[in-house]
Amino acid sequence: MASGDTLLILTPLNGEPLPTAFATLDLRNQHPVLDFDASANEGINFSAVLPRTYTGNGLEVNIHYAMSSATTGDIDWGAVFERIGEGQQDIDINGWASIKRVNDTPVPATCGHVDIVTISFDDGAEIDNLAAGEGFRMQVYRHAGDDTAAGDAELLFVEIKES
Amino acid sequence: MAQLSENERKDLWAALMAQASSRCEELGLTKQDLRDAVDAVDDWIEDNMASFNSAIPQTARTALTAQQKVQLLLCVIKKRWEVS
Repeated sequence: MASGDTLLILTPLNGEPLPTAFATLDLRNQHPVLDFDASANEGINFSAVLPRTYTGNGLEVNIHYAMSSATTGDIDWGAVFERIGEGQQDIDINGWASIKRVNDTPVPATCGHVDIVTISFDDGAEIDNLAAGEGFRMQVYRHAGDDTAAGDAELLFVEIKES
Repeated sequence: MAQLSENERKDLWAALMAQASSRCEELGLTKQDLRDAVDAVDDWIEDNMASFNSAIPQTARTALTAQQKVQLLLCVIKKRWEVS
């Protein structure tokens, strides 16, 4: 595996709700989706182990989404990592790295079309010093308080690839 | 019937977006545009309540409570929506 290769694919069925303000599981024409509200910020967690094929070039988080209703406006997505590792994180508390955002992405002009937003993370602190073979959590969220697209944003897939 | 408060307008705005989303109904405007429309409709209702009341014939205007008059208006609008 090398730069540009897919490391992980996450779907709505892998989503883990937050204690509050979480995206909700739904079906759209039988496609499992995670609905992110338009009127309040919402997020969802994913847990995984970073494949041992990761070679330290950093990660790209590709968020595949469609809008429920909006055909105009923009959307703000964010992601953040938490390394669990071995003896690295007390899982009774949270230890998130710094959030990274991609703002003001114009939504598709057709509300059922899927768009892909990429959030790039450097190796090291930006991914909470996560290393190959280590467990981690990643949180994906919509900054509905800042974006302009009306109605839900529906997440279909998240691809994590090596930068 | 009091004009909607800021929180009530916000709740209504959120509910309208949620309803459109549940039906995958296209919305060709931004969140702010929709919110402006909610505010404008509420303002229009407030500005025209007296006119609406005056349009009701005297007997009904006297006999019906304020709530009944609003329900009458809702029923007429709903029926117009159904038959259109």
